[in-house]
Amino acid sequence: MRIANISYAIALIGLVLGLSACGPSPAPDDLAAATQTQVPEADERVMRMWSQSCALCHVDGKGGAPHVGNVDEWLPRLAQGEEVLLTHTLEGLNNMPPLGYCMACEREDFLAMINFMTAGISAASSVGTP
Amino acid sequence: MNSKFSRRQILAQGALASLFSMTHPVLATTSASTPWRNWSGGLACNPAGRFSPSTEADLSEFLSSSQGLIRPVGSGHSFTPLVPTDGHLVVLDQLTGMLAHDTDKLQATFAAGTRLGDMGAPLEAVGQSMLNLPDIDRQTLAGATATATHGTGIGFTCLSGFVTDMRLVTPAGDVLDISESENGELFNAARVSLGALGIVTRMTMQNRAPYRLKAKNWVQPIEEVLEGFDESAASHRHFEMFPLTHSKYALTLAIDETDEPINNPPPSPEEAAAFAQAMAHWATLPPRERMPLVDGLAEQIQPTEVVDTSYKILSNVRNGRFNEMEYSVPKEAGAECLREILQTIIDKEIDVVFPLEYRYVRRDDTWLSMSSGDEDHAAISIHRTAAEDYRPYFDLIEPIFWKYGGRPHWGKIHSLGAAELSELYPRFKDFQMVRNELDPQGRLLNEHLRKLFIS
Repeated sequence: MRIANISYAIALIGLVLGLSACGPSPAPDDLAAATQTQVPEADERVMRMWSQSCALCHVDGKGGAPHVGNVDEWLPRLAQGEEVLLTHTLEGLNNMPPLGYCMACEREDFLAMINFMTAGISAASSVGTP
Repeated sequence: MNSKFSRRQILAQGALASLFSMTHPVLATTSASTPWRNWSGGLACNPAGRFSPSTEADLSEFLSSSQGLIRPVGSGHSFTPLVPTDGHLVVLDQLTGMLAHDTDKLQATFAAGTRLGDMGAPLEAVGQSMLNLPDIDRQTLAGATATATHGTGIGFTCLSGFVTDMRLVTPAGDVLDISESENGELFNAARVSLGALGIVTRMTMQNRAPYRLKAKNWVQPIEEVLEGFDESAASHRHFEMFPLTHSKYALTLAIDETDEPINNPPPSPEEAAAFAQAMAHWATLPPRERMPLVDGLAEQIQPTEVVDTSYKILSNVRNGRFNEMEYSVPKEAGAECLREILQTIIDKEIDVVFPLEYRYVRRDDTWLSMSSGDEDHAAISIHRTAAEDYRPYFDLIEPIFWKYGGRPHWGKIHSLGAAELSELYPRFKDFQMVRNELDPQGRLLNEHLRKLFIS
């Protein structure tokens, strides 16, 4: 009982007040301004959707989300294969809601976003994504 | 962190662009439409496609040149099947951001796809702040108002009550500007429409000057809180309680304006781990054995205080996913309704550790808000984690809400249909008529909306 006292207090407060997890969309004006001049049209659409959805948690690692580009955090996930990652994205996993807050995204969009967040990781570690 | 990029780098679009375009090719694609699921994962559908207009003109053209079924989707936070369709989903993810603001009136116009969590900072930059917010901020403005989503406080209506002007694109593609003075006959229907009248593309909100809030929470016996609830609700800007199940205690939250310096430290990973540990332990105990344990621990919880900018105190993102039922009952009936629910949980030994939520919401003049009419309401919520089957618990409690004249939150689980709802809302038939006039072919109806408005 004594051991758990603080834990319970924190648990209660966290449960009912919903201790903050992911943040607001990151710097939308900056992203939008930059994409107009530097990103090909097709990529610009995906990056816009990414900045409104995945980025909410994957930039800062909130809620246990693997950080963009973090080798240690992504390698074991990539090892499960892209279909598993896609299924987790579509159905939700742990704190990540289904579709990762992107209501407009299709499968190929999610795959492109996963690719972006894992850019260079699989090649460097021979995990085997394309 | 063994990260290849810093946060700053990631957010710099130059880095984003080069990474995205120069590394992997896009992975395998499929031509099949991607299933849709809501936030809790309890709802799913296979839409024929998704349409994401980049302008209001695009949306109008899409609607006027097509004939199939459509449903608007915000951020998928509703637990009721407002969205599922085998037609097309309309997503407003390109219609976002602040479009205009009026310094004198303290009003601002936002594209309707803007998420509540993305409104606070731009409003603050122009010297404004939302009057109130719900406690989850990932909903879109359109979705939150369409379901009469509300925050806490006897002095505040639901978000729809803050709307002064709005633009609606009808199923036929007609663009209607709606306010008290323009198409005024639609104003009280369109502010809480469940997405059944058309697609809302922009809204002007009544705001106020930016302000800072101090949130205090403490543990107190439920009966003590209930006895003084009216007085507490009147003396604090926001006042609510979260009754613990299988306990005589509630966690109580009072929020008031302050000039004190910001002090709002983020929770630590250790706290998150402790949270998971505590919940897991509690869940292993039979319900009838929990009360002395829960009460004993509750008595040791120390009060806490945090201070921050208003929108950072009022609203946030929930980590754990859940399903929820919420009904609003007339304020005077709130305490008795809550007591009966809590006693039922004990008597029936319902295995639930998720606290309830109890708060007041001010009356408003929309037709379908849960607090519409001439009475303030008490909103009572029950929850189940997303991984649990909520139905036995919710099915047992829902009739208690009915007994006290409860109106269901449109975005939260309930089982009512048109016959029952028409008895709860004096203007329900008027809304049905407006809906039929704007959408005679039923393009915006799905199975759930047909149950609500047709049969």
